[in-house]
Amino acid sequence: MGIAPWLKEEYSRLALRWLPEKAASQLKIHLDTTDFFKLEYGDIVILNQTPYLILHNAKEGRFGLDEEVKHWVKRGVELKTGNAKIIKLVFHEAFKCTIGSSQFDCFRSPRKEARILKLAAGHPNFMQGFAVYDAKGNVVRVIDHIYGSTLAAHIDGIEAGHETYYFNLFPQVLADYMECIRAIHFLHEHNEKHGDIRRDHILIDRQTGRYRWIDFDYNYMHRENIYGYDLFGLGNILIFLVGKGDVLLMDLRDRNHPALTGLCEEDLNIVFNNRVANLRKVYPYLPEALNKILLHFSRGANYFYENTGQLIEDLEAYRAQSN
Amino acid sequence: MLAEKNGTGDQNQIFNKNILIAVDESSNARRAVLYVARLLGGLPGFRIYLLHVLSPPEEDFFPSAAAKDAYVQKHRQEIERILQAYHQILTDNGFAAEAVSAHAPERYCPSIADCILAERELLQPSTIVIGRQGVSRQEEFLFGSVSSKIVNKAKGCTVWVVE
Repeated sequence: MGIAPWLKEEYSRLALRWLPEKAASQLKIHLDTTDFFKLEYGDIVILNQTPYLILHNAKEGRFGLDEEVKHWVKRGVELKTGNAKIIKLVFHEAFKCTIGSSQFDCFRSPRKEARILKLAAGHPNFMQGFAVYDAKGNVVRVIDHIYGSTLAAHIDGIEAGHETYYFNLFPQVLADYMECIRAIHFLHEHNEKHGDIRRDHILIDRQTGRYRWIDFDYNYMHRENIYGYDLFGLGNILIFLVGKGDVLLMDLRDRNHPALTGLCEEDLNIVFNNRVANLRKVYPYLPEALNKILLHFSRGANYFYENTGQLIEDLEAYRAQSN
Repeated sequence: MLAEKNGTGDQNQIFNKNILIAVDESSNARRAVLYVARLLGGLPGFRIYLLHVLSPPEEDFFPSAAAKDAYVQKHRQEIERILQAYHQILTDNGFAAEAVSAHAPERYCPSIADCILAERELLQPSTIVIGRQGVSRQEEFLFGSVSSKIVNKAKGCTVWVVE
């Protein structure tokens, strides 16, 4: 099925807002997104009769490594409205993930992300969008762009010592993050996992100030505890927020920090053994009630949280006590 | 089936000589089967249920329904072979062939332990046997432990965990 010439002219006219005249007059129009490498800068993809202009590929970095191009994720605009969109194409990928000394199967699932977009429609703590089938039946996700920084960048950018941060800023940070934990609880209650809980998968929406989860297409092969890996991610972020960043053994050694003499193996993160979980030993003014929650994610933990409800309960009890 | 209340006066616990061994393809499961075989083989009255819950990965893992069906079929064939091997271990150690039955129900299991306990409710053995997985604390934290969960959640029955 071709595109009517008058429609193509209309698209070219609209595309002038973002493209040089020559590129706008030579638009390539796609109805089939199967080969996502073919969708390039300046191309149009039509989904459910709506044209989207592709501007560039998304990138993502991890653990301080250089950003990797994600060719199946395009940044663009809805041509008629100019609204910024992220267009995620079908990419079935299965691979082994290694966390600490544990290895497990992970995979990408466009279907999962489509389901969660539908489930989370209107929820203030999730990215918003919808799924649509292209002409070949590929499930493409069209997602509203969120203007804002990641939670990781926000915390890293705070210019204050830890004590100032903890007493003046952390209460609101925790309140906002607890909305995120409740949002994950919402997913779990509906038998869904997030699948890739990380501090850079929370964006702070510049317009609303709300913390919002992104990227739901990752999944992992769970074993006995279906939500264990999600819970682990939530705990890591919590420790990161309480510590105003990761508290690394190496950094403490470099600074000859007095807390070093009191730290032992049980105080470390159960998976990332180079990170301190027992933060009260580094920041003695942290309340015991809060620290006990962090210790559930340490090597010395006698009891692991089995579900997000338990984590929420403990955090709510801590906040009630501290108000 | 010999059924009687146990001596503690617990109204919910029925005592019988039916034993459910929860198995998979691991060496832990084989040890559990060997233990029961050597301990009880040749003794009268015992009935063994070999149970493997076939729980395929969730639909999202497969690019198509056909891929999932192929996976399930292959896995079922493998499990049937393993259950046959376990059956042989038990009969080689003195169990009558008709006293050992294999069960491989297919169901989606967010928790294998919960599925095993659900099957136990149907079959009503008074003893569950499972091999200890030997997962590290880190793995138990991330992924849980079937044997630990069964020990914690089983009601009205006895649980043997074989090292």
